[in-house]
Amino acid sequence: MCLGIPMQIEHIDGLIARCQARGIARDVNLMLMQGAPLSPGDFVMVHVGYAIERIDDQAARTAWETYDAMVAGDSDHA
Amino acid sequence: MDEARRWLERIRALPIPPRFRIMNVCGGHERTISMAGLRSLLPAGIELIPGPGCPVCVCPEEDIFQAIRLALDEKVTLVAFGDMLRVPVNGPRSEPRSLEEARAAGADVRPVASPMEAVRIARDTPGRETVFFAAGFETTMAPVAAMLAEGVPENLSILLSGRKTWPAVAMLLADGQKPGQQPGFDALIAPGHVSTIMGPEEWRFVPGQYGLPTAVAGFQNASLLAAIYSALRQAQSGRIFLDNCYANVAHPGGNPQAQALLDQVMTVGDANWRGIGTIAGSGFALQPAYGAQDARRRFPDCSDPQRRRAGEMPPGCACAQVVLGQIYPNQCPLYGRACQPRHPIGPCMVSDEGACRIWWATGVREPVSPESVSSVESP
Repeated sequence: MCLGIPMQIEHIDGLIARCQARGIARDVNLMLMQGAPLSPGDFVMVHVGYAIERIDDQAARTAWETYDAMVAGDSDHA
Repeated sequence: MDEARRWLERIRALPIPPRFRIMNVCGGHERTISMAGLRSLLPAGIELIPGPGCPVCVCPEEDIFQAIRLALDEKVTLVAFGDMLRVPVNGPRSEPRSLEEARAAGADVRPVASPMEAVRIARDTPGRETVFFAAGFETTMAPVAAMLAEGVPENLSILLSGRKTWPAVAMLLADGQKPGQQPGFDALIAPGHVSTIMGPEEWRFVPGQYGLPTAVAGFQNASLLAAIYSALRQAQSGRIFLDNCYANVAHPGGNPQAQALLDQVMTVGDANWRGIGTIAGSGFALQPAYGAQDARRRFPDCSDPQRRRAGEMPPGCACAQVVLGQIYPNQCPLYGRACQPRHPIGPCMVSDEGACRIWWATGVREPVSPESVSSVESP
């Protein structure tokens, strides 16, 4: 359950950011990120709907590649 | 991938000891290791041992039983992270033995993927009690703390079963120093997202007090291989320290806002780990200021102290030994026989972070005799 999904912020409304990852959009809570200036276009690591850290685009890309491989592996062994 | 290959080549160029056991304490790490087949790619002698990395697996049986009773007897809406729903408790077959079976018996049990969903469900049903059964490590407890700090509807309460990871590792290491005992591993890969929240520094005690090479890792092959390389290199050079191979996410000091919210909302005390027993300073509980949201206070009749006992895994199930890294999943006598994902006996075969479930998902089908760990065939 400690899995984190990197997402990119589209817009921010108070403590909620509309984020997307690979075309899937979600509302993400920014309560754990107060004090860290965030803007649309930034990437965050998201765990159970909450941003837990700001990350760079390279970290986001490599994480997405890993999860793609996991999903492929899961379907191979379902 | 090229980066992962480069780390693998660096590892292969090192002199490898006859036996070097590296423990991970995160289901996400074990998943990457198993999915990528890292064990089969590493030189002989390197063992990757899954340790206490699954919060669902160590969630005390009495907590799950309490959640089942709340759903059935108090007629609440019981919400939990999806993994918890299928974890069985001991009991007669005539009674619901998991939240999923409670739902089949008519209880309102719903999986959620986020604390925000629990709040939404409670808001949508103002005349009905909603209980959020929240199990997890520090990474998950921080969002639960944030949810409570932000404010929740009066009809939402929390059945908290949160655990801290480092005290379990500290227990393994302390036990390993007792006469005639060994810690069971030679190096540690520390969890990436726990370190993102709490700070990598939490793991300094492993190299500092126990002299074991330690590296924080992320969830990509390259990060894990870098951590394995670091551990081997530290052991070879004799310069033992805490390395951070997930530095672009797990920053020094961690996430101070998350830590502040955890301190504001939760206290830390001794806590029971299923099949393992009490580990000092390892359990989260709600601060008195948030006591009104504590499901244990709101529904005191649903707690059954008679169930509070050590060693309460199902009969024959070796999940506790798997969680402690004493045996590999397929050394459990039930693995792949009585215990499979479609009919799990123990929690490690249920959760996506359970080592048994991960090994099964990556194609390990053959049980092996429960002999020494070194005899096990790696997936």
